Amino acid sequence: MGPLYLFSAVARHNQWLSVRQATIAGNIANANTKGFKALDVDPFEKVVDSARLAMAATHAAHIGVPAAAAAGPELRAAEAWEVTHSGNSVSLEQELIKSSEVGRAYRLNANVVKAFHRMLLASAKG
Amino acid sequence: MADPLQATLKIGASGLEAQSTRLRVVSENLANAQSTATTSGGDPYTRKILSFEAEFDDALGANLVRAGNIEQPRPSFRLNHDPSHPAADANGYVKLPNVDILVELTDMREANRSYEANLQVVKQAREMIALTIDLLRST
Amino acid sequence: MNIDPIGAATPGSTAAVAESPLATAGVGPPSVLGEAGRADFAGLLGQMLSSLAGALRAGEAASLAGLKGQVPVAGVVEAVMTAEQTLQGAIAVRDKVVAAYLELSRMQI
Repeated sequence: MGPLYLFSAVARHNQWLSVRQATIAGNIANANTKGFKALDVDPFEKVVDSARLAMAATHAAHIGVPAAAAAGPELRAAEAWEVTHSGNSVSLEQELIKSSEVGRAYRLNANVVKAFHRMLLASAKG
Repeated sequence: MADPLQATLKIGASGLEAQSTRLRVVSENLANAQSTATTSGGDPYTRKILSFEAEFDDALGANLVRAGNIEQPRPSFRLNHDPSHPAADANGYVKLPNVDILVELTDMREANRSYEANLQVVKQAREMIALTIDLLRST
Repeated sequence: MNIDPIGAATPGSTAAVAESPLATAGVGPPSVLGEAGRADFAGLLGQMLSSLAGALRAGEAASLAGLKGQVPVAGVVEAVMTAEQTLQGAIAVRDKVVAAYLELSRMQI
């Protein structure tokens, strides 16, 4: 059952990364909105629920909707680098750094999944 | 969130649109920096200011941005003594627009910077979606 | 895949097709040949093909839902990859089962 667990764990991480990217996008889009406070998501460790992870596809007929789609990470106020006098706490630099960090993690996940998928198929063929 | 990456594209697009509107307002101010009234003693061009509003979209589950109303705060016009000007009032003073070129240029630079940041968001989301689809490629 | 060795299986009983796509197929050497053995092989083969079809159908359903925009891209990709893995595993097991059956049929009674 090893590879199956990996795929569902990575799917969950990717879902969390995607939600974080959307939150960062909302922050950047509202970088000039008066009174807007930057948001961020809960850390991944807090969101990971091993019980939910067990909902990996147990039957071939299950449609593989990621278990993470059931409950997304909570949004919370981010630690602001600064707050301007208009009440806006978005720092473009901070958000852009976070955004590229998320992209890097997502790329790593995708490559890992690709490699394991290839290995799985190769082991079956052999 | 149904599909966060699709949502990211829409959010980035809303940011691009908002910053474009901001740039339009700035360029309007710059173009009319010297526009006086045509009638004697009339008010000249008044500086326009754009404000943004966050708009939470329930379907997406995230914040979009929307260009709010264009405001023209009650200004105090600069006065220029030029009795021969068609817009000169009884005392020979012409009211000039309350547009400060330096302020407008700075705003333009900021709008550019925000625009590029939103563009980066769209590129990042597009790359993540492409990575996902690329998983299905055999090689 | 918990396929009982053919000899031990009672006629008509079919071991449940396991969910894991690539658990190793435990097809042992058959010790009893006869009508019962052949019926079991046929049943096993049928189950192989139906699990294969099931995986493909799941992948297809996810793709169609993705077309309509109901399932996110990540979900479609995951379903299709799972279908591919299940397919590969089912093919490998099917080949082993067929090879074993052919070997069986060649045996001198």
